[in-house]
Amino acid sequence: MTDNQIPAELVMTGIAKVYGTNRAIDDISATVPAGQVTVIVGPSGAGKTTLLRIICGLDAPTSGQVHFDGAPIDGVPDGLAMVFQDYSRSLFPWLRVEANVGFPLRRIDKKLRRSRVMEALEAVGLAGKEHLYPWEMSGGMQQRVAIARALACHPRLLVMDEPYASVDAQTRAELEDLLLTIQATMKITVLVVTHDIDESVYLADNIIVLSKAPSRVSEEIPVRLARPRDQITTKEDAEFIRLRAHVLRLLRNIPEAPTGAGSLAAKVTA
Amino acid sequence: MKLISEPLSLLKRIVLGVIGTLGIGLILEVLIRTRVISGAGLPLPSAVVRQGYHLLGNTAFLTQVFYTLREWMLGLLIASVVGVILGGLMGAIPTVFTMFSLPVEVLRPLPAIAIGPLLLLLLGTSMLPMSLTVAAACVWPILFNAMYAMRSVDPVAVQTAKTMHVSPLGIMARVRLPASLPFMFTGIRVSASIGLIVAVSVELLLGSGGGIGGYILLASTSASNLDVVYAATAVTGLLGVLVSGLFALADRAAFGWKKGLAQ
Repeated sequence: MTDNQIPAELVMTGIAKVYGTNRAIDDISATVPAGQVTVIVGPSGAGKTTLLRIICGLDAPTSGQVHFDGAPIDGVPDGLAMVFQDYSRSLFPWLRVEANVGFPLRRIDKKLRRSRVMEALEAVGLAGKEHLYPWEMSGGMQQRVAIARALACHPRLLVMDEPYASVDAQTRAELEDLLLTIQATMKITVLVVTHDIDESVYLADNIIVLSKAPSRVSEEIPVRLARPRDQITTKEDAEFIRLRAHVLRLLRNIPEAPTGAGSLAAKVTA
Repeated sequence: MKLISEPLSLLKRIVLGVIGTLGIGLILEVLIRTRVISGAGLPLPSAVVRQGYHLLGNTAFLTQVFYTLREWMLGLLIASVVGVILGGLMGAIPTVFTMFSLPVEVLRPLPAIAIGPLLLLLLGTSMLPMSLTVAAACVWPILFNAMYAMRSVDPVAVQTAKTMHVSPLGIMARVRLPASLPFMFTGIRVSASIGLIVAVSVELLLGSGGGIGGYILLASTSASNLDVVYAATAVTGLLGVLVSGLFALADRAAFGWKKGLAQ
């Protein structure tokens, strides 16, 4: 992008969320470092979406605080852009692609808005598609539109909630690489929530593994795989394989480096 | 390969439609002419068609047709404005819903036709009380469609706008309203047909001589004019078909995007 955006840092301190008697989030403290890709992974029902809503300022935690670049958040922070899982519901079907991507930029001068929209569409490989309606496109293309819309805001933190859960495996791999390319060129902070373990290791500089509800941080794992990553070579790297096994064990509550019999017993109980 | 159910071509559908319509007319014609069914004043389809053709060239009749159309459009317009605004606000704002849900439930079962004579007494003989009667019948489908449409706007769409710092008013104008428009229009479409029925009915009931209803009422005072009564009635039916066709076209032109709404 044209102007130099300084990536943002996000710090969660002692986040808890209680609904009535149901404690969804017990105690989460973690840091999303500036300019890196952080992936939150957790078993289903671990309160991942609740945590995201709190991070985005859409929901208040019962206790604890989120700091965006040092300032406690109160409402949606400036410089945060969000990509939802369900592109068919988050894109507006009455607007063409150009108007969808330009939707958050309504306060900006028309000419500048158009150039930013075109720039964002270019970045996601959708140049020339601005006159289509989202529902005239494939699922993967629609999610690209949603990403372009987030990028058009020139975000300092891009938050994505299970962004690729509704697309097929091939498209998913393409969109993972697209995200990494964009992150490398624009140097923004990226926070992705996923339940896909391979995806978490492939994308991340840091993985935050959550426990089952009421959720806590099981472990924060630094990922030191080389960049740029590659769908084939990265995924056959011994370190990748070790990490995905490690994350899977954390999610399933299986102790590290088990004996043959022990792992079988643990799998049965898991 | 033949599919289990292939859609009919447009030409086939037109031909079948014409055959069905002509067939009913022909059967009726034969039944009456052969006196299988008999009685005074039964409509011979051929005579009704002939009269209908004459009526369409009759300026006195056409004036009344336009009178009915103006009365109907005014009523539908009033109903649309009231229904969309009140229904939309009831759907979007719980406080407004709580305030107005009882009055709405009390007024809704009242037959609109019954308030026609009252309005005439209050406002005098003119088009306005008849249009208001039309509006009273038309407002409900519009109001309820607007209310449920605004209430069931996809929360993901609303959240998306919230993360973009769109103000509550902006979310109303730029997300909730456009997402609801197709359903509001469906309400107006349904009401358009109801409104035409009510417009002619209230003319027949009030007997002030205006509109197609007034024309039918006058013609029916003479037994020799029965074909004219039938023909005027048939023209009203055709008007209804025309109106619903035009609304269907407008729907497709303006809200073709609604297939993109997540269900």
